[in-house]
Amino acid sequence: MLGTVDVEIFYWWCTAIMICIHAGFLAYEMGASRAKNVLASGVKNILAFAFIVPTFFFFGWWIYLAFTNGFIPNAAGDAGLPWATAMGPNLTDNASGVFWAAFVLFAATTASIFSGAVIERIRVSAFVVLAIILGSVAWILAASWGWHPDGWLVKEFGYHDVGCAGLIHVVAGFFALGVLINLGPRIGKYNADGTANELLPHNVPMVLIGLMLIIVGFFGFLGGCAILNPGAQWTNIYGQPMTLSAYAFNTLMCFSGGIIGAWATTRDPFWMMSGALAGIFVAAAGLDVWYPPLAFLLGILGGVIIKPGNDFLVRMGIDDSVGAVSVHGFAGVIGVLAVGVLAAGYPNVGDAPATSFVGQFVGLVVMIACGFIPGYFISLALKAAGALRVPDEVQEMGLDLCEVPSKAYPEAAGSKSATMVPAE
Amino acid sequence: MDTSPITSWEGAEAYFTFADMPGFLYVILAAAVVVCFGTIFMAAKHETEAFKKIEGKE
Repeated sequence: MLGTVDVEIFYWWCTAIMICIHAGFLAYEMGASRAKNVLASGVKNILAFAFIVPTFFFFGWWIYLAFTNGFIPNAAGDAGLPWATAMGPNLTDNASGVFWAAFVLFAATTASIFSGAVIERIRVSAFVVLAIILGSVAWILAASWGWHPDGWLVKEFGYHDVGCAGLIHVVAGFFALGVLINLGPRIGKYNADGTANELLPHNVPMVLIGLMLIIVGFFGFLGGCAILNPGAQWTNIYGQPMTLSAYAFNTLMCFSGGIIGAWATTRDPFWMMSGALAGIFVAAAGLDVWYPPLAFLLGILGGVIIKPGNDFLVRMGIDDSVGAVSVHGFAGVIGVLAVGVLAAGYPNVGDAPATSFVGQFVGLVVMIACGFIPGYFISLALKAAGALRVPDEVQEMGLDLCEVPSKAYPEAAGSKSATMVPAE
Repeated sequence: MDTSPITSWEGAEAYFTFADMPGFLYVILAAAVVVCFGTIFMAAKHETEAFKKIEGKE
């Protein structure tokens, strides 16, 4: 019983630490918004978390357990149905609740990644629909295929992605790209001649603190990606032996590499902290096996590529407000392939093949499809229904005035609400 | 309202409210689903009306 409770305690605290990711994304998005949209961005981000929780209970956990073979559900998913005896207080099941909770936080992280890309012009209702599709359907279907030890990508191709470079970051990054194509840029981003303007964040220090909070949360996230086996060695999600020390070495090394890579090429603190994230994502798929200086070099690569990646998107007419497609999507692509190039040949457990470039490449194609296809087509349908984008007049006025019954900075100079008003 | 599925902790397994009454579970679950998605529908309707007012279409 003590071992069972140890497992429960471990994932309980991993989940708690992961909430720092959401505190971080909240600060990040609000800081990256202009002052006129800051609370609307905050509301949108909070709602992503709020709606992922019940929808992941309704169907997300079932998808993970049931769809390991592809698109046909199997009986193993019955334990994740929302009326199953495992899906509530049960004295014979200490595991389901804490594992479900950890996965909820993974799912909400995925939705928050997408959230930042679309600030300042997406309708809240459309965003919530898309966040649910991403967090409680798309990524968890990818996870059922490429993270569940019985997933077909694992069994047939030896796909290896312990820290979710593909499963979360590629899926979320390419989902965001699909939506951004239909959503269009913010008013004022592009001039008539096609040149782009910088729409500056209203609070860069808040952005930086938010990004650092996300890093704190990642330690809970990565702990939640490991399997605690009481009285025995840790295993990764696929059942391969590992140590948390491996994660400790490599997470810190690629984190620092990402900062240094971005600092050396941009000198910009926004990209430095984004580089910290990208550095982790580039090394994430193989965090259990890298030689730490190699993780550092992978981190450097992550820090170096993100700004050029975002600049490329801007030239293509894609207005990604926080660089999420580049930081998560592009860095995740490199992360998945890095295992195929630099960590091929690691044995699997059971009948699954060893890690290979082919396995990683197939997995990458699946991850891109799992993100881009639903993101593009569902946002296209919302666009056709006139339900995707905030009208230009409202964007110019600012979303807070239209959508939020409170003021972010009521005492700011020039604010119409700067004077005191009687309490009601 | 007696919602407990157990009368003793001895040998208890699933003990959440209505655990032994599947009909009630389905009703509560359905209500939760309707409220969850209903709020999104209401938000979309509210947004459309608010935007129309600002654009001067109402």
